[in-house]
Amino acid sequence: MKTLELDVDWDGHRAGQHLDVRLTAEDGYQAQRSYSIASAPGERPAITIERLDDGEVSPYLVDELREGDVFEVRGPIGGYFVWDGDEPEPVLLVAGGSGVVPLAAMARHWKRVGSSAPMRLLYSARSWDEVIYRDELEHLGIGVTYTLTREQPERWQGYARRIDDELLSEVAFPASEGPRVYVCGSTHFVDAAADGLVRLGYDPASIRTERFGATG
Amino acid sequence: MSDPRVLDGNAVGGLLHDVFGAEVTAVPCTCGSCGARGEIARLVVYVDCPGVVVRCPACTQVLITIVRVHEHACVDLSGVGRLEL
Repeated sequence: MKTLELDVDWDGHRAGQHLDVRLTAEDGYQAQRSYSIASAPGERPAITIERLDDGEVSPYLVDELREGDVFEVRGPIGGYFVWDGDEPEPVLLVAGGSGVVPLAAMARHWKRVGSSAPMRLLYSARSWDEVIYRDELEHLGIGVTYTLTREQPERWQGYARRIDDELLSEVAFPASEGPRVYVCGSTHFVDAAADGLVRLGYDPASIRTERFGATG
Repeated sequence: MSDPRVLDGNAVGGLLHDVFGAEVTAVPCTCGSCGARGEIARLVVYVDCPGVVVRCPACTQVLITIVRVHEHACVDLSGVGRLEL
């Protein structure tokens, strides 16, 4: 896992947006991947890359890229999965694995703008070691709940299972408060979380989702 | 639709920006077959085909296909009822 800060010539980004990285080999072969922007609006765009051993792009970005290297970036992209910081409703962020990246941008933005909207993050990861940004998340001032689905530290007091309706009902704002929801993760995770929230009475239109593919 | 190959319209935001010259993931799209309406970000997207296939989440009608041929993007919008650009 590595975070890269990018020096780009664009007019800022919105929390939740992503960008496309395109690498071109000497023979002209191109590979393109999308990465969520991890930093808050007003900060330099940063992307956090999970290295996949059999990937085409992530091993290069994680292992070989050096400060000052230049590559092609398209963005910022997205006008749907965004949170601008002036929305009054409570905000529920639901992250599966590296799906936390765009949600971390929203949480950082929440802190920067001093939003008075309550914000909670429910973060599902396989193990404590795989929780990204954990020190920072603890200190932002939002409510953070973890569930560790595969392996838990000794004396772990938190949730230790995949997201289900009971877990969601304990962590999520009541539907009556009209929260905005952002869910990001694998397709399976996103479907499970969004379907569960709808069963809790959430308006499907209030649930914004972004599905990640693992294409390295 | 928990097929892991299935993504959503966010995944083709950059490609569609190239096609339309604007950010469109929040643009409402109406299915030409069943009439379901929702933002492009909510549509079902397959990116591991030859090209990109965008389907209606309600009835699975193919709404948009985009195939790159050399420098050209060949865009088929024939399944779309309406795009509120």
